[in-house]
Amino acid sequence: MLITAALAAGCRKVEGRLLRVGLASEPKTLNVWLASDASSRAVLRLVYHCLYERDPETLAFVPWLAESLPVYDPAGKTYTIRLRQARWSDGRPLTSADVAFTVRLIKEFKTPGCSRWKYVLRVETPDPHTVVFRLKKNFATFLSRTLQISILPAHKWKSVANAARHAQKPLAALMRFKNEAPVSSGPFVVRQWRKGAYVYLTRNPYFFGKDKTIAGRRLGPSIDGVLFKFYGTTDVAMLALRKGEMDMYWHHIQPGYMSVLQKNPHIRIVNSPKSAIYFMGFNTRRPPFDDVALRKAVEVLVDKQFIVKRLLQGRGSEMWSVIPEGNKRWYNPGLPRPGQGLNRKQRIKLAFRILSSAGYSWKKPPLDATGRITSRPGELLTPDAKPMAPFTILTPPADYDPARAISGTMIQEWLREIGMPAMARPMEFGALIQQVKVRRNFDAFILGYGRLPLDPDYLRSFFHSRNDRPRGWNISGYHNPEFDRLATAAQREMDPEKRRRLVFAMQAIIAADVPYLPLYLPTLNEAVRTDRFTGWVPMLDGIGNRWSFCLLKAAKGGK
Amino acid sequence: MKNTEIAMTRNRPYWRQALDENWRRLRRNPTGRSGLILLLIFALMAASSFIPPLISPIYNPMHGVDPHISHTTGPSLRHWLGTDFIGRDIFSQLLAGARVAFMVGITAAFMSVVLGVAIGILAGYAGGWADTVLMRLADMIMVMPTLLVVLMAAALFGQLSIWTIVAMIALFRWPGVSRVIRARILSLKQRPFIEAARIAGASHLRIMTRHLLPNVLPLALLYMTFRVTSAIIIEAALAFLGFGDPTTVSWGMMLQWVWKTGHMFQAPYWLLPPGICISLLTLSFYMLARAMDEILDPRLRRRGES
Repeated sequence: MLITAALAAGCRKVEGRLLRVGLASEPKTLNVWLASDASSRAVLRLVYHCLYERDPETLAFVPWLAESLPVYDPAGKTYTIRLRQARWSDGRPLTSADVAFTVRLIKEFKTPGCSRWKYVLRVETPDPHTVVFRLKKNFATFLSRTLQISILPAHKWKSVANAARHAQKPLAALMRFKNEAPVSSGPFVVRQWRKGAYVYLTRNPYFFGKDKTIAGRRLGPSIDGVLFKFYGTTDVAMLALRKGEMDMYWHHIQPGYMSVLQKNPHIRIVNSPKSAIYFMGFNTRRPPFDDVALRKAVEVLVDKQFIVKRLLQGRGSEMWSVIPEGNKRWYNPGLPRPGQGLNRKQRIKLAFRILSSAGYSWKKPPLDATGRITSRPGELLTPDAKPMAPFTILTPPADYDPARAISGTMIQEWLREIGMPAMARPMEFGALIQQVKVRRNFDAFILGYGRLPLDPDYLRSFFHSRNDRPRGWNISGYHNPEFDRLATAAQREMDPEKRRRLVFAMQAIIAADVPYLPLYLPTLNEAVRTDRFTGWVPMLDGIGNRWSFCLLKAAKGGK
Repeated sequence: MKNTEIAMTRNRPYWRQALDENWRRLRRNPTGRSGLILLLIFALMAASSFIPPLISPIYNPMHGVDPHISHTTGPSLRHWLGTDFIGRDIFSQLLAGARVAFMVGITAAFMSVVLGVAIGILAGYAGGWADTVLMRLADMIMVMPTLLVVLMAAALFGQLSIWTIVAMIALFRWPGVSRVIRARILSLKQRPFIEAARIAGASHLRIMTRHLLPNVLPLALLYMTFRVTSAIIIEAALAFLGFGDPTTVSWGMMLQWVWKTGHMFQAPYWLLPPGICISLLTLSFYMLARAMDEILDPRLRRRGES
């Protein structure tokens, strides 16, 4: 009798420890090679894990699937990594063969986003728990960028890879694989995915981290499963959160909802810093923005404080470098901050000085002889005394991101105050990317990278002249031999201090030449309910990290 | 009765006389009168939309912000309907929205009616294969859902400007007009006065423009009023869904801002005015059209009215 009662209580407890997470859309796929949307990545983050994780506080690397930090041998250019005793969710051991298989798959199929693996000569597996990576040459980003891949179970993917190899387009065939029931190395395993309704994950009985202490934290998971539900509109999601039908909404919440959420005693709003950049990019290949003076004039005319205070409702900060300020290791704090704190009149005066000393003139100048600002300046004339041709500022549409779209129209007005024929034009996101990245037919645009890596290697991708090609990352078409030299050196430099100095110098060059004008860095606003679970781990890029799901606990007195 | 009509025709063309007569009937019709009054109010709003930005740049509907307010606030003396999330005046936006609604509604309706009347007269008068081709084309376009097609175009070609949207609405809304006009022309062209014109040596073009067109004008006007309603609603729906022209302040755009920034259920002073205005303006055009319908179609007239 007692046993039955205890069992029944236990069962109820199990039911109560199911975490319900709201996603903004249904995951598109569980195939890692195809997953580019936030929802798919959210689910996959709990399923496939990496060799190293970042510590939530220090952001330093801690061994995850690996047992210890890699050992580098400069003479042989090899990294040696020892693996933990880990198992897949079907009970098979996770060995060096899985790591080697994943790397070979990347190299063979040239999967997108993994181009850095071309610097790796080969992978060796001396024993089931040791992996040796042999590099072609020294490069600094092996641990921080290259190695950040999800390790796949070789015994599950081998047949998929074999089938894809014989297909006409191997990579496309690999990406077509549905992967409905992935074998997991994480704390949870996908039990059921009912299309259009939910994804249900239960605890992985073989999770390596169970009751282990990593980086001073004793891992669980102590919750029994995760139920992902999809909410097409934020209004419905917010209602579900307030009614307690959801424990966490894994998505940024617009500032407008905050006042209502704050009234609920069971809801906690978590503001996390983001590693991101929102910026205005210029096409330096053609007039008018091939002239650095004009770009600098735009820089002082743009009021970043206005954007942060009003469009972001104060939930963010102004950006002065292409590396966010929160990335303390690489951010150069010594950069100039042109225009900071100026009012509109001072901005116009400063821009007027920059432009007139570069040879620009006006039919009717924005400043009269006494230095007063005229209300409607004549059109701006280029140094060869021709009227400037109208140019457009492309932005994403307002329903995709109201802040960026409205920034565009605001910047348009600010530039018109000095006679620049600017026109903001929102564009459907896919079409916008096509226009700036592939066709490269644009004058200026406003875009953002929402998940910027912590390693500053992306500076090289954004501004190295070699990447100025269709689909290349150098969208601005920026060419500077000095920058190219520094970027290549920084990629090779193994001494962290020397590399840091190189990265600082690179930031200074970009700040002086302004191919990108960094605008703002929003904070990530997420909301969780506190009545059923506690222990969310705040971290860069939000609470939806692997630590949170391993450390969450049922709240005391929770339902 | 017939004699007097004929007598009057001698002095003034028949269509002028009909218009005068109908205008008198419209003013007597209560639905039509209230529609007209509502419409006048909105026209006044649209006309006065130029005033706020002249008072102070902070009342510019698109980029004027109150320097002391950086979040949404309720109605106050300084801002009669409050401010939106970046401190722009909602009342100025509402006035500017009225202007955009009139602009969109009337131009789209006018374009579609011009197109519809031209095609209707041509099809009805020419008959034969021209009639068949034009009317099958009309059938094809008529079954296409306008909003959906414009949405798809917006997704394909990126953001549409307000004039592209107007042109697309016009292009998709003419078939209804042309069908009705054609039917009227089919009966008109059998009348003796057309026969007489033809015998007198009038060219086809002259018959179509001088004899047929004036006789279908009242009907065209009626359809134009109906079309205005649908054009305004389509533009508002597009803007609300995020496919409008973001450089114009329309009521649909205002609704989109209130929705996307998460103020839908927090700021009724921001949500309700544009919503109510869309309903009332379309209602006023609808009432006007209903009244005109009654006047033009004697079968709908109440007993005792002439």
